[in-house]
Amino acid sequence: MLPYLLTSGLTSGALYALVAIGLVVVYRSTGHINFAHGEFFMIGGFFAYSMITMLGFPYLLSLVLAVPLSFCLGAVCDRAVFRPLMKAPGTTIVLATVGLSYLLKGVGRYVWGGKGEYISIKSIVDPAPFLVWGMPVLPQQLIVFGAAMLCMLGFFAFFRWTIAGKMMQATAESAFASYLAGIRVERVYTLTWGVGAAVAGVAAVLMAPLTLLTPDIGSGLLIKAFAATILGGLGSMSGALVGGLLVGLCESLIGGYIDSSLQEVAAFIIIMIVLVFRPSGLFGAYGVRRA
Amino acid sequence: MTIIKFITPRSLGLVVFGVLAVLPAFANNYWLFVGNLTLVYIVLTVGLNLLIGYSGLLAFMNGILFGVGAYATAIFRVDFSLSYGLAIPLAAVFTMVIGVIVALPALRLSGLYLALATVAFAQFILWVLLHWDQVTRGPSGIQVPPVNYAPLTDTFENGHYYLTLVVAFIIVWLTVNLLRSHYGRAFVAVRESEVAAESIGIDLTRYKTLAYAVSALYAGLAGGLFAPLLGIVVPESFDLSQVIVQFAMVTVGGLGSIAGSVIGAIGLVWLQESLRAFKELQEVAFGGMILLTILFFPGGVSAMLKKWLPSWREPLRRRLLDHHEHD
Repeated sequence: MLPYLLTSGLTSGALYALVAIGLVVVYRSTGHINFAHGEFFMIGGFFAYSMITMLGFPYLLSLVLAVPLSFCLGAVCDRAVFRPLMKAPGTTIVLATVGLSYLLKGVGRYVWGGKGEYISIKSIVDPAPFLVWGMPVLPQQLIVFGAAMLCMLGFFAFFRWTIAGKMMQATAESAFASYLAGIRVERVYTLTWGVGAAVAGVAAVLMAPLTLLTPDIGSGLLIKAFAATILGGLGSMSGALVGGLLVGLCESLIGGYIDSSLQEVAAFIIIMIVLVFRPSGLFGAYGVRRA
Repeated sequence: MTIIKFITPRSLGLVVFGVLAVLPAFANNYWLFVGNLTLVYIVLTVGLNLLIGYSGLLAFMNGILFGVGAYATAIFRVDFSLSYGLAIPLAAVFTMVIGVIVALPALRLSGLYLALATVAFAQFILWVLLHWDQVTRGPSGIQVPPVNYAPLTDTFENGHYYLTLVVAFIIVWLTVNLLRSHYGRAFVAVRESEVAAESIGIDLTRYKTLAYAVSALYAGLAGGLFAPLLGIVVPESFDLSQVIVQFAMVTVGGLGSIAGSVIGAIGLVWLQESLRAFKELQEVAFGGMILLTILFFPGGVSAMLKKWLPSWREPLRRRLLDHHEHD
């Protein structure tokens, strides 16, 4: 029982971490939480699905193509919605992302099926589990886990060593000062929203073979990613990774040992405990001083 | 053209409530139901606007607290066999207490935490409504018996309509007065600048909690009025889309405008009723309206009225985009 719970917890935890990393990228650059991130995930998954079933593309190609498409979705949303609101206060932006998420959910439902209609994507690799130190592991689980780690490392390097990454951090610190230093803040934001959506696309593409896609998948996942970011410390990249894995593990252990229906509320309990006892999260919050 | 001079938020409000007061005389049962629902939503949007528009706090609780109020009223009525007159206020206070307890840790922190914590809480309560079978009866919900308004009017529909009308009117009137008092000024001061508000001696946590509590109380009250209206309370009425519909009403009407909230509730309840059969269209319409209002008509309907009518004055209106408007 325990090995199985651990592997499934780590896999869903890696997924939550990936979704949370997308949130954190946007938060670190723009200072806003994107409530439409779950819908970016949902639409990214459906991009891959459409190419496989409707256009008949080979698996790997569609999976690879879905990521740049998600990037475009994010960049288009930035140009259409967030750039005009650049100087607006934070609550306005959150309200706008909420509106966008609802709009995208409706579009997803209209294009890709009715309520409760599940669409699965066939797995890329052999679905049969194999044993690692006595724990049954699905190959797809390993891929999800590995990809989350790779994304994490990639972003670490990106923020540390590239000019674009440093520009993103600078705009988060102060958009005004970044202007003065000659950074085109608008372009950095477009890049950021695109990258955020692309990460959501990666997560969707990797996870789609393990779960079923529905237009409603976004909001539940988003709350788990919130729990991961708050647990790790709002704005911390490594915090999001650790937080995501912990949320996944908690969920799976609570579900396995106490009650399977309790799985859904683990995220909320984690958020409340962190807010009461350690609001800055495990890795120190990047955002509390914005209060 | 002189009549334009007399169109103010106050006079328009009186006309709207006057029209709503005579609605039962010529409406059939369906339109009476829609009118009644509109009045419930007026209570909800006024409370939500107090929170978002005036105090600048973004929380996702009002949808689920609406549900808590409705469920509490139903349970007090059915399981404790309290009279309806006692069940509603009890349920409203209960809702307020629940809402404040949950929000208290987040209210001490920056605004984002409140938004994140309340989204999670809304999902949690929805889960409780679905799974706590002994109390909430799970997905099938609770049947709420109609209220007997016998000595006053003969039918439940008319009686309940007038009860809701009176409550909605009192709530609007009370809120307008609350916002004129030093509490209202303090809410707006907190919204405009927390640092400035603190420096003139406004206790941030205290006033945020107060705004939040009033908003939660209104949501509970609206739930209490909603429960017998539909005759049944089910969890799916109170999912995340409930609060997004309310966001749309408040945004379209105008943040920081009570008159705008009333107008938004009237317009969007009607729209929701006409789109009831098409869930995806509803989502596109409400999400799109939030976006279009923020992008192209910041300030919503009330800002447009202000532009056209010289007599329309709302000094506490919230500016959605700092660089666009100046009051």
